Amino acid sequence: MNNIISVSYYTFLEMVRNKVLYVLLFFALFIFVLGIAITQMTIGDNLDIISDIGLGTIEIFSTVLAIFLGINLVQKELTLKTLYPLLSKPLSRTEYVLGKFFGMIFLIVVEIIVMSLIFLVLLHVYGGPERLIAYLPAIYTIFLQTATIISVAVLCSTLTEPTVGGILTISFYLIGATSYNLVYAITHRTSENVAKVINTLRYILPDFSHFNIKDNLVYGRGLEGLHIGFASFYALFIVLIVLSLSVIFFNTKEIN
Amino acid sequence: MVKPIEFKNVSKTFRHPMKVWDRIEAVKDLSFSMENGEIAGFVGHNGAGKTTAIKMMMGFIWPTAGEIQVNGKDPGDPDVKKSIGFLPERPYFYSQLSGMELLSYFGKLTGIKGTVLRDRSEKLLRRVGLFDDRNRKLSGYSKGMLQRIGLAQALINDPQLVIMDEPMSGLDPIGRREVKEIIRSLKREGKSVVFSSHILADIENLSDRVLIIEKGLMKHFGTVPEIVPPDRIRYKIEFNAPDEMKDAAFSLFKGIRVVSNRFVIDCEDLDDFNVKLTSIVQKGYTVHDAGGVYPSLEEIVFSQSGEVAS
Ligand SMILES: Nc1ncnc2c1ncn2[C@@H]1O[C@H](COP(=O)(O)OP(=O)(O)O)[C@@H](O)[C@H]1O
Ligand SMILES: [Mg+2]
Repeated sequence: MNNIISVSYYTFLEMVRNKVLYVLLFFALFIFVLGIAITQMTIGDNLDIISDIGLGTIEIFSTVLAIFLGINLVQKELTLKTLYPLLSKPLSRTEYVLGKFFGMIFLIVVEIIVMSLIFLVLLHVYGGPERLIAYLPAIYTIFLQTATIISVAVLCSTLTEPTVGGILTISFYLIGATSYNLVYAITHRTSENVAKVINTLRYILPDFSHFNIKDNLVYGRGLEGLHIGFASFYALFIVLIVLSLSVIFFNTKEIN
Repeated sequence: MVKPIEFKNVSKTFRHPMKVWDRIEAVKDLSFSMENGEIAGFVGHNGAGKTTAIKMMMGFIWPTAGEIQVNGKDPGDPDVKKSIGFLPERPYFYSQLSGMELLSYFGKLTGIKGTVLRDRSEKLLRRVGLFDDRNRKLSGYSKGMLQRIGLAQALINDPQLVIMDEPMSGLDPIGRREVKEIIRSLKREGKSVVFSSHILADIENLSDRVLIIEKGLMKHFGTVPEIVPPDRIRYKIEFNAPDEMKDAAFSLFKGIRVVSNRFVIDCEDLDDFNVKLTSIVQKGYTVHDAGGVYPSLEEIVFSQSGEVAS
């Protein structure tokens, strides 16, 4: 346990000091500002639109960070060979993989908090800071979704090089983000049997619609408490399976 | 008592990175065991299989055949690492951490903390000459400094067995001497040390036993005098002559030469050495130095493999 904490802490430290992170953060801020500039030109409830942009930016930025830092998490250590001195300590490979995962989770939590604070400032400027409280469940589910992406990125990172890993992780994200609508669209256009097959397939594919409560909140459609609970279990389920696979693969990998 | 390292008929075959059907036999049927408290030097040209053997000792990769035990256990067992220190070939570390932070990190993984960890880190940083740079980020460290911090992290847990892959590479002559001194002091503290080098001269004065590896095969394993055949020992006499006897000294034996104001004569073998020495002493010359000179391992390995060391 102590080993996992040490690995995650120093993994976090190493990433948080990287300048790339700040370039990305700057970029996220830029999108925020751009969004606001656009709202000045449109009609409608400013606060709703700002909320939409704000939560959307938090989600996109978290996803981008999870993919780009995640796929390099283990691979970079293999190519730079920083892994050798680490694995020469009394640290099991399982502890290493888990430590890396939690280090990344740690980073995403901090990132989401920072972005939420910026979001809060924006809401304040437009006269509705109390809205952030109402949005907390949405921010939480963004975190859950990002955690599943991180686990997949870690798995890819233990298996293959960053380019392939990146493509695989992005595919996971795209499937997760579209599977619900895609399945819906297809099943309503095909024969009953095909629809059955596709409906079964739906349970295997990642489905991020379970994490999508942002629209309900922003446009005041309300939220069932059950939804959050289910989303938590769903994320935990994916993370557990994917991390177990990562651990199994990494334990049988030759560190060359 | 269990041996620090034991290899039993260990082989390692790699897939060729380009040609799928090709195999590379990096280590072939390697058997040896190390004694407690000794310094063992692995020597061989680049590509001989040293790093492969070391990676197997560390449990990073697994033998294709044979068995390896480190302190009587499987090298992959994290417990084994508690009493091991390891310096990889051309070490590289987290660039955003400082030297001090790196030692804290690795120290915690070995189970030390608090003031013990801080004191030991500082002591080691002094020992490898990085104390003044301890708060600098590792991204600003030179190759030689990385080698030094690598050495410090290898010793953070006060290991009983230290494994080092090419510890002297990337260092200037002063750095090499310092590393050699650290290796000697480890032995004085009763530790066992294995290290590799492609430069024989680095190994022969330092190692209790030398393992010569060539194309994955172990050529020799033993002390330097064991490896060097007796007939390869050269005997040499150095003497001086008063001014009036200088001309006579030149015609004393065939092949006599002058090196920095002294007469030097090489002898055929031990008998020839005794004959010449007696004669020189009887004629009243002053003998400065006389005895057997071991050829360096470099010369031995050269003459046996007929290859040029890289
Ligand atoms: N992962 C690998 N895949 C294929 N060949 C390898 C691999 N690692 C080492 N080799 C080959 O094994 C041989 C021994 O390499 P190595 O142990 O690094 O030698 P040394 O450390 O003595 O210079 C070399 O021919 C090298 O090319
Ligand atoms: Mg090598």
